[in-house]
Parts: sequence; C-alpha cells; structure tokens
Amino acid sequence: MSAAPALSGRRQFWALLRKDVVSELRTKEMLISMFLFSMLAMVVFHYAFTATGDIDLSPFTGGMLWAVFVFASLLGLNRSFVHEKDEGCLDGLLLCPVDRVTIFFAKMTGNLIFLGLIQLLAVPVFTVFFVTSGYWADLSTFVAVLVLADIGICVLGTLLATIAMSTRARDLLLPIVFLPLIVPLLIAATAATTEVFSGDVTWATLWGKLAFLLGYDAVFLVAAWGTYDFAIGE
Amino acid sequence: MTASGGDAAAPAPEIVVDGLTRVFGRRDVLRDVSFSVERGGFVALFGPNGAGKTTTLRVLATLLAPTSGSVSIAGHSLADDPTPLRRTIGLISHSPLLYRDLTAYENLRFYADMYGVEDREQRITELLDRVELAHRRYDIVRTFSKGMLQRLAIARALLHRPRVLLLDEPHSGLDPHAVDILDGLLAEIRAEHTFVMVTHHIQKGLELASQVLILDGGRIVFRQTGAVDPQAFTAVYREHVREGAVA
Repeated sequence: MSAAPALSGRRQFWALLRKDVVSELRTKEMLISMFLFSMLAMVVFHYAFTATGDIDLSPFTGGMLWAVFVFASLLGLNRSFVHEKDEGCLDGLLLCPVDRVTIFFAKMTGNLIFLGLIQLLAVPVFTVFFVTSGYWADLSTFVAVLVLADIGICVLGTLLATIAMSTRARDLLLPIVFLPLIVPLLIAATAATTEVFSGDVTWATLWGKLAFLLGYDAVFLVAAWGTYDFAIGE
Repeated sequence: MTASGGDAAAPAPEIVVDGLTRVFGRRDVLRDVSFSVERGGFVALFGPNGAGKTTTLRVLATLLAPTSGSVSIAGHSLADDPTPLRRTIGLISHSPLLYRDLTAYENLRFYADMYGVEDREQRITELLDRVELAHRRYDIVRTFSKGMLQRLAIARALLHRPRVLLLDEPHSGLDPHAVDILDGLLAEIRAEHTFVMVTHHIQKGLELASQVLILDGGRIVFRQTGAVDPQAFTAVYREHVREGAVA
C-alpha cells in the first residue's frame, strides 16, 4: 500500500515551474512592477535625450537597454521567493524529496520566462524610441545576445535571491551583491547590443562578446549547481 | 493502544534518535536527546516554551541538521542522503505550508508531483473528501479560514502516504469542527503510521500517546511508555516546567 512512489526530477521541475507561473499570472505583482519600471525608464531616457535636440543615440542604445533590463530583473528576482518566505511554504518545499538543484532550475527558468515576457513588450517600444537603423537582418544575433545575457542574469540572480531570502535585509542585500557581480556580463551584453543596433555587425568582434556571455553563464551555472544545496539550506 | 514490546523477535524501531545535540550560536538547544519509537507508536513530546520540542521535530523533518548525534527514520539515516527519508515523513505544523494564490486542488497537485504520487487525481479527491473540502476544491486558498487551511494541511501531509507523521501542535488554532476532523483522521490512520507529536495539550497528548516525553532545557527529563495516569503526569509536568522556568 505504501510502496515508494517513483520520483521524477522532470515531474518535480514542471510542478515547481507551473506553481510559480500560475501564482504569478494570478497576482501579476512581479510582472506589473517589472513592466511599469521598464516603460517608465524608457520614457525618462527618451525625454532626457531628446530635450536637447537631435543627437545620435546609437552609441548609448545598448547601455540604456541593459540598464533598464538589469534593474527590472532585480524587481522580479527580489520577489522570486516571496511565496516561500512570506507564506511559510519554504519548509513545505524543503520537506519534499527533491534535489535542491531541481528547485534552482525551476526558479531560474521561471525568472527567465518573466524577464523574457517583459523584454517581448519592452524591446519594440525601445526600438521605436531609440533605434534608428533597422536590425532585422541581425535579429537572430540580437536574440542570441538577449538569451545569453538573460540566462546569466537569472542564474546569478536566482542563486543570490536564494541566499538573500534568509536574511532580514533581503531587499537590500540582493542588489548590493548582484550589481557588482553582473557588471562583466552587462559590459559584454551592452557592447554586443550596441553593435547590433548600429547595424554594423562583424562576427570577428561579436563572437568574442557572445563567447564571454556563454562563459559567464557556464561559470555561474556550475557555481549554482555546486552550492545550491547550502544556499537554500538552513 | 500499541503494545510496547514483549515479543521474542521485536521489529526494528521506526524512529531512532541517538545523542541528538543542536547548538545555535552559543546556545545548546538540544542536549544529548535520545529516544526510539516502534512502528505504529505514538510519542507525545511535552515541555515548556523554548524547551527544544520544535527543534527536535525540525531535525526529524530534515529541516535542521543536527550538530551531533544521529537520527534514523524507517531505516534511513539522516546522515546519508536525506531524500529517501523525506519520502517517509509528513509534517503538520502551525503553518499550513500552502501557497495562498493557488487553489486547494493546485496545492495538492503540486505536492503530489513533488512526492511522485502515482494515483494523483484519485488520492486528491479522496483526501479532499476526507477533510470535507471537496466543495472548495477549485477555490483559492487565500479565501480559506484558519480551520479550513489546517484541514487542507492535513490532506497535504497525508498525500504521499508517509509512514511517519510529525505533528507540531496540530490542534492549536483549530475550531472544534476541525479538531474533530483531525482527531477522526488520526484515529483512522493510527494503526499504520508512527507519530511524534509536540503539544501543550496534556489530555489530548496522553489519550493518543504510547510513549510520553518531557523535554526541558534541551534534555529529556521524563519518559514513560504505556498508559499514563493524567493526574500524576500533570503533577510531574508542572513540577518540571516550574523547575525549568526557575533554572
């Protein structure tokens, strides 16, 4: 009667992801705050730069875009464990016979989905406001930059949000630790995005940036894999 | 009540706690706690606030690592991979451990998937019926009363058919109807489960228990197996609690 049921990491992953996505779509707290911040930041940038007349914004486009996304992602990351912590569900989660790395990947994928949704809405608005040259020909390159940078942001952010969750000053701690560590990724993503938006993509220079983003993702994925058990423990 | 031994070939205990110590900073919250429970046994753990009862339960639930000592549940040691051990335990605590923005069904489906429950739909329906929440199956848990939340928490804890149930003051904050449902459920599953219950409710604890422990200052200061006279126990309990408070 009480034979041990078969445990499947994949089933647990989907259960965790579905739970986070359904909860968020029901409350929309994280999505709304991320979306409103992104829109507000772009509007402010737009009026700040156009107030002084016609200037060529193309050298700044990558920086503006990633400044918006990094701070928007922070809003989301800060809330990624809100249900577990505020509703006391963390014990329920930790009681489950689940590999802690599965929890990490589900949380990280959830954050990736939410950031991707915001980008889906924000990038067209950003393009209308700031990008003067068409980048349709390099759209796949731009998507590759977005995906690689998003993975880095969400891998690092999920790991740090987990650690910060158990501290009293979690809202403060996450940005203090996250922002310095994300700077290398931000520089590479900014440079690659500016190159795409300028319409002057050369694989010789872009390849190095994409390889850096890939390497950054890999390093923090391995770090999360190795430390998550301790990060989410006591 | 469960018999406490006497057979020639006594089965291995379901829970063995040996020399359990837990230190928080410089404070010894648990000091050399040892006890064992036979399969089908029911331990009631009494003690004043801050005695270490909940810490003991959290160590058994794998939510806290012991500083030293060993814990074994259903043949699985906590020192080894705790994953198989987690499959054998269910926890009912003050907090229902439920996601407030999900429905009752979504909560139970989530936990069923996490525990790999194979007959998920049937089990959820059966438990929702048992805790009299079938009519609220698709309602968001945020709209539930405290009693309903606790009833759903009972269903959550039993979902994966755990062999050992850990109860942390399960009656606290329950309305009489929820208390009846909880007691009915405990009576129903009494024979096929092993229980460790932390409680301040002496009468309820003694009614259910096959073994009684009093924890004070992180140590077991009283233990008795078998039937306990409530009046004598109350006197002993008060004496220990008062001494503990003075110490």
